[in-house]
Amino acid sequence: MKPWTKGKLSVLVLVFFALAASCWLSPSKETSDSERRALAQWPELSAETVLDGTFMDEFETYAQDQFPGREKFRSLKALAEYGIFFKKDQHDIYVKDGYAAQILYPLNENSVKNAAERFRTVYETYLEKSESKGRIFAAVIPDKGYFMAEKYGYPALDYDRLAELLKEDMDYATHINLTDTLALEDYYRTDSHWRQEQIYKVAGVLGEAMGLERAGKSEMEAVIGLTDFRGVYYGQSALPLAGEALVWLTNDVIENCQAYNFETNETTGVYQTEKLEAKDPYDVFLGGAAALITVENPTAQAEGNHRELILFRDSFGSSLAPLLLEDYGTVTLVDLRYVQAAYLEQLIDFHGQDVLFLYGAAMLNDSFTLK
Amino acid sequence: MVFSSISFLYYFLPVVFLLYFALPKRSGNGVLLLASLVFYGYGEPRYLLLMGISILTAWALGLIVPRSRAAFFLSVGISLGFLVWFKYADFFVESFATATGIPVEPLKIGLPIGISFYTFQILSYTIDLYRGKIKPQANPLRFATYVALFPQLIAGPIVVYASVEQQLDPCRRQRSVAAVYEGARRFIIGLAKKALLANGLGEFTALLGTMGAEEGSVLFYWIRIISFAMQIYFDFSGYSDMAIGLGRMLGFSFPENFNYPYIAGSITEFWRRWHMTLGGWFREYVYIPLGGNRVSATRWVLNLFVVWGLTGLWHGAAWNFVVWGLFHGFLLMMEKLWLLRLLEKAPSWLSHLYVLFSILIGLTFFQADSLGDALENLGVMFGFGGLGADAGAGAARVPITSPMTWYYLKSYGVLFLVGIIGCLPWAKRLYDRIAVWTSDHESIVMGKVMELVELFALVGLLLLVTAYLVDGSYNPFLYFRF
Repeated sequence: MKPWTKGKLSVLVLVFFALAASCWLSPSKETSDSERRALAQWPELSAETVLDGTFMDEFETYAQDQFPGREKFRSLKALAEYGIFFKKDQHDIYVKDGYAAQILYPLNENSVKNAAERFRTVYETYLEKSESKGRIFAAVIPDKGYFMAEKYGYPALDYDRLAELLKEDMDYATHINLTDTLALEDYYRTDSHWRQEQIYKVAGVLGEAMGLERAGKSEMEAVIGLTDFRGVYYGQSALPLAGEALVWLTNDVIENCQAYNFETNETTGVYQTEKLEAKDPYDVFLGGAAALITVENPTAQAEGNHRELILFRDSFGSSLAPLLLEDYGTVTLVDLRYVQAAYLEQLIDFHGQDVLFLYGAAMLNDSFTLK
Repeated sequence: MVFSSISFLYYFLPVVFLLYFALPKRSGNGVLLLASLVFYGYGEPRYLLLMGISILTAWALGLIVPRSRAAFFLSVGISLGFLVWFKYADFFVESFATATGIPVEPLKIGLPIGISFYTFQILSYTIDLYRGKIKPQANPLRFATYVALFPQLIAGPIVVYASVEQQLDPCRRQRSVAAVYEGARRFIIGLAKKALLANGLGEFTALLGTMGAEEGSVLFYWIRIISFAMQIYFDFSGYSDMAIGLGRMLGFSFPENFNYPYIAGSITEFWRRWHMTLGGWFREYVYIPLGGNRVSATRWVLNLFVVWGLTGLWHGAAWNFVVWGLFHGFLLMMEKLWLLRLLEKAPSWLSHLYVLFSILIGLTFFQADSLGDALENLGVMFGFGGLGADAGAGAARVPITSPMTWYYLKSYGVLFLVGIIGCLPWAKRLYDRIAVWTSDHESIVMGKVMELVELFALVGLLLLVTAYLVDGSYNPFLYFRF
């Protein structure tokens, strides 16, 4: 036996049993903050669950989810993937120049067509015969990959083809190009979304195309909600990425607006600051995902402006909508992922409102959740 | 339960170790058998009874096999019967339906994990008893421990009874600090092979299923099969390392199963380096009883193809596995007849190229879901075929390369490089040379540095593997389907 064998074995045994003991003894956690999901809990143990194998299946997930120091171990793996194996992405997330982005590739034409079909259903059912015709707009929000993928040698989505497909199938809408207006700096470093304080110019471009007077022109105050915001890619990449500020823009008009959520029956302000403490602080913008929200603008209504906008949108729309509020008496936000188009007539009176279809490229490329 | 899982590593194994080493030596078999039943039942609770019946019948009949030809045939019949029924019934049904055109519903019988491995162990015991090579094991607990021993139960190595007979006596089983350390080292290396290399290569191999059909290319298909070749090697040899390491920690000495097979200069040599215990089993219990090569040329060829057809079938109940086996049988026949002499005279790079090329072609059949898929993949690799279901006459040819091929090559390039180096004995040779140098020069400092480097490497690998397992999803071994 080599002289140090006993010592080496002692170290291995110590490390091994320390890890094992911490597995057995650590209390279970309910959720993973970085992944924003509930963690698997101790599975039901019964003769039935053992015999049909569900106990074992669920225990595997439990053992992985509840592993002590899980986040540190996930980071260790991510660092090894980048630092040892030089993988270009981790779970399809890559980081360049401090920006984390998801690989969005290849273009799923069937998905884009599916989205366009859903939009056409809305158009043919509610808009075609209303005075909205001629006041319908569409815009695609590029993902961060538009600015990063080709530059850094990652698979790049064919945006020209995406725009072409939408134009073909949405010939009833005026298409507004946002790609020239945006830049990588307009997005959060660790999240998929754009930064509201950076998209004032987007509101201006949209406003100009839609004939709005104030969008992108009125004065706004920037409020810092968080200084250490870490977005969805932070958890997914498991890399030690720095946090950043989460800022929103406001003024007296926006502060006076009232947002009504049809699902929760709650009326709130445009910015829901209590969401800063929630799993996804981006929900500060109109409370996050919701099937139907109506925002009333008493200031505009008092001035006799009863112009209305229906915004068909995904999560990007939550932060953009406040910047269009000043031009409208009422803005209705519809998320077709959570409400079927067929039910809209029970919820909205279509009477010639402006209509904007505003969707992120990622959603259009994976649109089968649209109802 | 698989070795490369958190449940095995940090829930199952510590309890087994504590019980095994804390309780008196004579309780060793009881602990191991109980642990093995939990280990097997965790993955296949339904088939515990089947394995129990197999063990009990083989043990009971084994007591009279040396003096009863009928008991021998009955025991072999029961073991083979279970294997054929559970593994091959649907294969025969579907083949019959295809051949005759008569529609027959498949029986949809589940495949019990590890049935091919433990059946072969039982068969070796029964045949060796009948041949008078060994004596019956009177203690059912010891026999059950031999068959169900969890380190080698579900993916080998195939341990012949005679080689572990003495170690089945818990009081004669050697336990030592050196053996436990060596076993732990071997286990961690095997675990790293599986979790860091095989799984990563497996990700690449599976990419084709997730990428768009238009993104495939001839180059991608070649890299994919190379990746699969490395994946299956690290997967299976990693598992064997873990099994051997666990066995060593528990006081067993299991046979080696792999010896850098991809450096072979012929297919004959390859099979002396790849899954050695399976090759040895077929040679001992099928090929030699059939007469081996001490028969007429025609009979010898027949023997060869029977053995390799069965070897293919052992790996999977599908025709693509049979073709894979027969392909290797054909190459072995050619080598025996004339090719080996030619290869011995050829430059070594040429013989290596021939071996690797042949292995890759064979693995195209091995990897595919069906014979049709294998032929389609081969067509693409040689630039003849199209991609996807609509491929065929008139369909666009697959491009030589594509942007995604290059992207994935860049992304997985280092992993491939590490994999290639891992397939070669360079690291082992370097380690051995340093050890010899240290010993020759009586360098205490160098010796201590080596010990420390080794310890840090092992702890680092254990933590890294844990990180990969925590982050990953459930990941069964490739060889589970056998």
